[in-house]
Parts: sequence; C-alpha cells; structure tokens
Amino acid sequence: MDELLDRAPCGFISFGDDGTVRDVNSTLLEMIGGSRETVVGRPFEALLTISSRIFYQTHFFPLLRLQGSVEELFVTLRCAASKEDVAVLVNAAARKQEGGVIYDCALMRLRERRKWEDEILRSKRAAEEANQAKSGLISMMSHDLRTPIGAIGGYCDLLMMGIRGQLNDAQLADVERIKKASEYLLGLIEDVLNFARVNAGQIENLDIKPLSTAAILTQTETLIGPRIEQAGINYRREACAESVKIVADPDRLQQILLNLLTNAVKFTATGGKVTVTCEARGDRTLIHVADTGRGIPEDQLERIFEPFVQVNSDGASKKGFGLGLAISRELARRMNGDLKAESTLGRGSTFTLTLPAPDSSSHK
Amino acid sequence: MQRNVLKRNNVKVLGHGTQPMLFAHGFGCDQNMWRFVVPAFVDDYRVVLFDYVGSGHSDLGAYDAKRYSTLGGYAEDVLEVCHALDLNDVIFVGHSVSSMIGVLAAIQEPARFAHLILVGPSPRYINEAAYVGGFERSDIEELLDTMDKNYIGWANFLAPAIMKNPDRPELSAELAESFCSTDPAIARRFAEATFYADNRADLPKVRTPSLILQCADDIIAPTAVGEYVHHQLADSTLHLMQATGHCPHMSHPAETIEAIKSYLSKVGAGAQVEVANQ
Repeated sequence: MDELLDRAPCGFISFGDDGTVRDVNSTLLEMIGGSRETVVGRPFEALLTISSRIFYQTHFFPLLRLQGSVEELFVTLRCAASKEDVAVLVNAAARKQEGGVIYDCALMRLRERRKWEDEILRSKRAAEEANQAKSGLISMMSHDLRTPIGAIGGYCDLLMMGIRGQLNDAQLADVERIKKASEYLLGLIEDVLNFARVNAGQIENLDIKPLSTAAILTQTETLIGPRIEQAGINYRREACAESVKIVADPDRLQQILLNLLTNAVKFTATGGKVTVTCEARGDRTLIHVADTGRGIPEDQLERIFEPFVQVNSDGASKKGFGLGLAISRELARRMNGDLKAESTLGRGSTFTLTLPAPDSSSHK
Repeated sequence: MQRNVLKRNNVKVLGHGTQPMLFAHGFGCDQNMWRFVVPAFVDDYRVVLFDYVGSGHSDLGAYDAKRYSTLGGYAEDVLEVCHALDLNDVIFVGHSVSSMIGVLAAIQEPARFAHLILVGPSPRYINEAAYVGGFERSDIEELLDTMDKNYIGWANFLAPAIMKNPDRPELSAELAESFCSTDPAIARRFAEATFYADNRADLPKVRTPSLILQCADDIIAPTAVGEYVHHQLADSTLHLMQATGHCPHMSHPAETIEAIKSYLSKVGAGAQVEVANQ
C-alpha cells in the first residue's frame, strides 16, 4: 500500500469474496486500536460490533455482492483500545483481480454527526410514540367518552319525557341543562375526532360534484337558524343565485359553512350582522361569511387556522377547542380550494371559502 | 386471486423440470439473492422465485402490518404462491428467516412439501436460559438502531441501483434494478418479526424431510443452533459447510449447489447426519 493511501484521512480496508481481509491502512488501524497482524487474514465482519455483523450479513454483503458497490452504509466497529465503538460510514466497491474479486472499502469516521443522528433517531421514535399515544387518545375519545356521554343525553330525554314520573319545573330545567352540557361535550369530541381524521388523511371517498350554492346554504341555514335567532343576530344572504354553482362534496361543504356561520354567530354581539355573499370569479366560486364582531388582530389571521388556537381581541376565553377552522381549511384544501380570513379590529371579520366552479379544470 | 398473488409477490417461474423448487429469500433482500445458485437447477426443476410482500418488487400496497407482524403471515405468502401455481411435491429452499417460514408452511400444509432445504436456520435468535440463540435482546435493539440510521442517511437504499456486478459483465449499466429495496417501516417490522420470533416449539411438528445447510462462523445462525434444529427436526440431515458467514448461496454458490444436489440425489435415504468438508 502506498503512503498516500496508508495515511489518507479515512480508513481503508479490502477483503476478498470470502470476507477475509487482504489489506488495511494505518488510519483504520488507529481508529480501532488494532495492528495489521490482528486484522489481515481475519474476516472483515470480525471488526464489526454484533449488531453491525447482523447488518453486514443481511444487507451489506448481499448488496455488495449483487450491486458490486454500496454507499453510505452506517456501521459500528469494535475498538480494541476502548469500550466505545467507532461509528463509520462505508463506501465499498468490487474490483476484479486475478483469482477473484476484491472489495475495497473507504470508511469515514462519524463523531459529532453521530450525536446528531442519535438525536434525530431519538426524536423520530419520540414522535412515533407520541403519535401512538394520540391514536390511543382518539380511540378512547371515540369509544370510552362518546358512548357514556351519549347515554347521559339519552337518560335526560327519558327523564324529560316523564318516563320516571313527572318532573317539576326546577327539575326539568336542571335536566335540560345536563342535556345541553352533554351535547356540548359531544360536539367537542366530534371536533377532535374530525380533526384527527382530517389530519390522518382519513377523509376519503369525497363525493366531489357540481352543487347549487344556494341549495347548500339553505340546508345549512336550517341547521344554524335557531342559534342565529336565539343570539339576536341579523342574518342576510346576498347574490347567491341558483345559477352560482360550486364543485365540492356536499357534506363537507355543509360542514365548513356550518362551522363558519357558528363562529360568526359566536363572535358577534346581539344586534350585530352576519352576511353571506356568493361570488363567481373566473374558474372559482367564492363564499364570503362576514360578521360585525370584534374582529381578529392582523398578526393572528393565520394562527386561527392552527389547531387548538382561539384568538379573541379582548383576550376573553371562548368555548370549544379551536379546531373548527383548522378542520375547515383542511377540508377546503382537500376539495382543491382554500379558506382565508380578513378582519378589521372592532369592525368584524370576513371568511372567504374558495372552491372550483363547475367548468374548472382543477376539478378532480 | 391467482393472478393477484403472482403479481403481489412478484413471482417468477423458470426452468424445464416438473418438480417445483420454491426459493424463499431471507430478511434484508429479495429473490435476487438466489441468482448465483438458480441457474444450476433450471434444467431439472421448475424453479419458482418470489418476493415476500414488503420486499423487492412485491406490491407494497398489499402490505398488512397485522398479517406480517409474525412469521405466520409470511408463511401464508408461501402457501398462497403454492396455491396460485398449484404447486405440489415442492422442494422448498429457504434462507435464514425463510427456513422458519418454510417450517410453518410445511406444518400447515404438509402434503404440499416434499423437502425443506434450510439455509442457516434459527428458530430463536435471542439467548434464553439454557438455549443459546447467539444474541442478547440488546443486540437486536442495536441492530434496529443501525437499520434506522441507515434508512435516515441512505437514500440509495430505496432507489433502484445500477447494476455493476463484476461477475456478470454482460449486464449493461442501462439495466437498473432494485436490490433489497424496501420501505423502512416494513423492513423494521420484518426485522422485529424475524429476530424476536420463537419457533422452537414448531420444529417437532414438522414431518417433511429436511436438509440443514450450516455455515462455519455464522454469527446469525451459529453451528450450535444448526445442531439444535437438526435434533428437533425429525428426518433431517445436517450438512456442515466450509462456507463462512450467513449467505453461502451468495458467497460460496458452488458449494451450496453441490450440497443441495447431493442431498436431492439421496432423497428418501432417511434421517442422517452428514458432516462434510471438515
């Protein structure tokens, strides 16, 4: 071996088809604290730690034999001089020689890089564990929480129907409160489950087709109407003619609109206005939901679409988990659209849902 | 179903013989690992090659994490390939973990299998009480770390590699093939199914005659394990090879071919211990 290779700033070793080491450079010997006599003539894999020997037999050697070369393989070498193993990246290539094939390997030692890679691995595993914990929580919410809360609502209904005897007015009012609280809890759980489904890409089988914007709005208004009335909000729909069509999944579109209207009502004071306006713009159809609520600070307009974020101009706490807008935007994007917000503090907010119009080429 | 299985497992059928010889690859690679020994059998046998779901060019869409969480799921692949091609009187050749997969398949449908040829078998890799499998649990955990680190930094692992095989210069550089390509998550689960498995109790249930090919200095399946398998398997023949390592069909194909052919020529000779090449 010439001096250049012997003293190169990386380890070098060559072994034959039977794995027996033919040559090794001084740099590698220094790395592992070995001598030429203890390495040459012995199997290459004997230099590896146990786990790397398994990897050598299951991946390294088969790949080298089949491909004739391998690159950037992470293995660890046993070090005679210390208990610490030596991490290296290996590039290896086959070379024909009289009497067989020789595999030449260059080994680059990993020091700082190894610490970071260990850290990446730890973080990756922690993320996987957290993800599993999240799945467990979702499953628990889905079954262990939703079922008993449903039972609470059901028994409230029975009590209110007088199945267990007539209730007096105070008792009836209490049971109604219990019923409302259980419905609220169920709503929260549904939000979390919806978010988990959207987040996990489990919203499948979207039935995307051209729809009448007016018809979908009418259905949604039926659901939100009592709440608008109860809140004392002036509601108006403008420019949503039957001819304005939108390409979307009807259930998911209604889910988004219901969420936007619920928010508008929630954040608008009694006597305020909520206005829905439709707009055909090129190959897109826009639905604006505007309110005259307190508005959202400009620097928070994107944050409100993040999960578990609720922003109030007055810092007051609001009900819910803050998942509705995150779910709605994700659903809009799954349907080749988007959801954005504009706002002026003290004057109100406008949420704009954009989705393809029927002749849009982006309709998939 | 039949067509789906053949596509799903990337099944290749070669050869001019009638008796099927089914080659099952081990953990870490795919059917390509048999390329150095298969040519020796195509004149006399109907050679069947396949990739387990999750390995090589199999249909990754067919991967079911639950089914393949144990070796039983992989044994189902073997049996479904047999059903799809209506294979009977099968000589099953399994490398490493495929030895135990073949054992499980032969227990489930003994009538289909004529012989099991087990290359580097181990029913249990982890040491346990008096049983010496060769590894501590921490060794396997370190292996999983090593695999993960290679998957983090090793984009080439997933990409097709250009063939640069010095032994087969006739293959041009234009021929791109994917060796051992696999999804990292699937590979990890296969590693766990392999190295945490315990199939010791299955061995006495096997009635199919078998040949055990035991390499010298095999860290994955040490000689003591090969001897254990031989003692537990009725009607088995233990052949100690000169070949070292764990992949004699790749490192010492001529010796491997000779050992298999020699056994097959003596088919029906009954249980025996043949200690060769010492």
